[in-house]
Amino acid sequence: MGGPRRASLRRGVPAALAVAGVLILAACGGGGTADDGAAANGGAGGLPSEITVMAIKDETGAVAFTGLSTLKGIDLAVEQINNEKFLGDTKLVVENRDPAGKAQTAASMVTAAIQDQKYAAILGPVASDQAAAASPIAERGKMPIVYTQSGSEGVVIGEYTFRATPPMTSYYPVISDYIKSKNIKSLGIVYNTSLPTLKEVAEKVLPSIGEQVGYEVTASVAVQMTTQDFSAPISQVLKTKPDAVALLLVGGQNPTGMRQLRQAGFDGPVLGNTAAGAGNLKPAGEDGAGMAWPTDFHPDQPGESSRKFVELYKAKYGEEPLNYAAEGYDSVWWLARAVKEAGGASRDAIKKGLDAVAAQGFDGAMGKITFEGRDMRLTGTVVEWNGTEEVLAGSAS
Amino acid sequence: MLQDLINALSLGSIYLLFALGMSLVWGTIGILNFAHGAIFMFAAFASYVIVEQVRLPMLALIVIGALVGAALSVAVQVLAFQPILQRAKDLRSGEMQILIGGIGVAAIPLAVAEEETGSNPFGFSASSYATKTYALLGFRITNTQILVVAAALLIAVAVIAWLRMSRSGLALRSLGVDPETASLMGVNRRVLGLGSMAVAGALAGFAGVMLTYHLGAITPDSGDTLLIKAFAAVILGGVGSMAGVVVGSYVLALAETIVLTQTSGLWVDAVSFGVIFAVLLFKSEGLFGRKEVRRT
Repeated sequence: MGGPRRASLRRGVPAALAVAGVLILAACGGGGTADDGAAANGGAGGLPSEITVMAIKDETGAVAFTGLSTLKGIDLAVEQINNEKFLGDTKLVVENRDPAGKAQTAASMVTAAIQDQKYAAILGPVASDQAAAASPIAERGKMPIVYTQSGSEGVVIGEYTFRATPPMTSYYPVISDYIKSKNIKSLGIVYNTSLPTLKEVAEKVLPSIGEQVGYEVTASVAVQMTTQDFSAPISQVLKTKPDAVALLLVGGQNPTGMRQLRQAGFDGPVLGNTAAGAGNLKPAGEDGAGMAWPTDFHPDQPGESSRKFVELYKAKYGEEPLNYAAEGYDSVWWLARAVKEAGGASRDAIKKGLDAVAAQGFDGAMGKITFEGRDMRLTGTVVEWNGTEEVLAGSAS
Repeated sequence: MLQDLINALSLGSIYLLFALGMSLVWGTIGILNFAHGAIFMFAAFASYVIVEQVRLPMLALIVIGALVGAALSVAVQVLAFQPILQRAKDLRSGEMQILIGGIGVAAIPLAVAEEETGSNPFGFSASSYATKTYALLGFRITNTQILVVAAALLIAVAVIAWLRMSRSGLALRSLGVDPETASLMGVNRRVLGLGSMAVAGALAGFAGVMLTYHLGAITPDSGDTLLIKAFAAVILGGVGSMAGVVVGSYVLALAETIVLTQTSGLWVDAVSFGVIFAVLLFKSEGLFGRKEVRRT
């Protein structure tokens, strides 16, 4: 995921070797071309009766909570697009594939999609390691691929790679107003250094916000993906007596971090990141209350397009959507708009359509969406965990 | 400084609780059980599933965790490790196959827990036990931390005493020295193997429940992370030495805490594992391990 995702022993050298193998196979096997997709889907001159897209999202494994939620958003968008006949008589079909947390599996799936001419595009994996393995293959095979999450470098790398999740670093500054409202003058930071996104927020974004709103970073302590007990790093930070603490940790580390922070006697405001969402703070109980973080979506955020999405989602699933679902929903709508804009469903036409829609921006589940190149941008919203649920702490002005 | 020492003691106790069972079977029946982390996690997960239905105190969850851990560990021994050893052409290749078998077996409880939790963290917030914090003389400690430290040390002492003083413990140790000769002396390898796996599993289950209380929550892959630390603690202390595991766990935790307090946390794993590497270079059997004599 975007950054925050859980560690796994199953990654590393073997995965890299497998991915290298797949890359070679893709290169030697003469992966599909843009024209392949056109042939399968009726050509660029008109829309076929059916457009098939492969969705590579984790349904099992360490980031299943992200993949499953994203798929709900995708299914909702597909249903809406087909029911509303947004593409006329053309039916959009999404076929799910589960890489189960493995980069080499995701890479193989991308290769298979390129070879199979029925696929017009791919909705890419949510984990950065999978996406980084998939992108070079997609670029080489000229297959448009739209990611959600996957916030690291090396994902959006060329003409055919797109991302429907704004990088956390781009919208994290929206938390400035919250910081001012809490009158924070000093900040201690505990951050997971294994993830580039969290490292950048800790080492660049938060100090930069501090210069603007007037707080000092009194201590910054790195922890690793393998860290499970945060007593020592928290003690280090609290020795500097900060007004607030930023805990920038991955999903499962957040409840432990919050619990140990409160046990260490700190009862002030805590800044977090989106990995604390999706109910991850629930096991911390009351100790989790008071953590706030910027996110790209919250069900209570203002805006007509967001409200409409939440209503549709609740009607279909009987629950409130997570940000992952909103990202999945917007990624499909970006794709559908691209097809309509291009007037064709070949891979090349979709690529051009995605660029054209990105240049205009659109209103989606996450609000008013703009793009920087092929990468999504949003203002963001600040949410706070109150001990039982996420509530809106303040939205962008 | 005192707070740092308490933190190190608490962290070392976590490593010790986890490593005890792993060291027991590795040092006696020669099984390096890579499913130990999955057993640890699944025992905690089973306790979590039950406590979500029925509000229970800590003691009840500990008993459930230990029973689930023991049952799972025995099942692994009977269904996976024993058949592997029986089919292996020699003991050495059997031990190598068990390493891979352990990794394969571990994937099953991991998949079940990931499926049920959606890979989200889980904890015992529904339990009737409440963590309390005590502030004394400028440092803070929780009742759970005290319990974790006390349990780790008491269990370590009990296991050491059992292995050194009881008949079954001595028989188990003899298997670690020379299994063939021990068998000729009437030691029942199969029964003792099952018994030690049951004890190791119960210890893993106990550790799983205690650590979930201490940390507030764990994730399905928490066992994998601790497996590496426990492996390091056992190697540092010396394979086959339970006292070595105690020292190895606390030395590892102290090294990590010192590195964290003196430098960036980025170097915690690198420096602490570097210390272990250095120990192995100059004392390859570990701090308390038996010295191997090779005759040519």
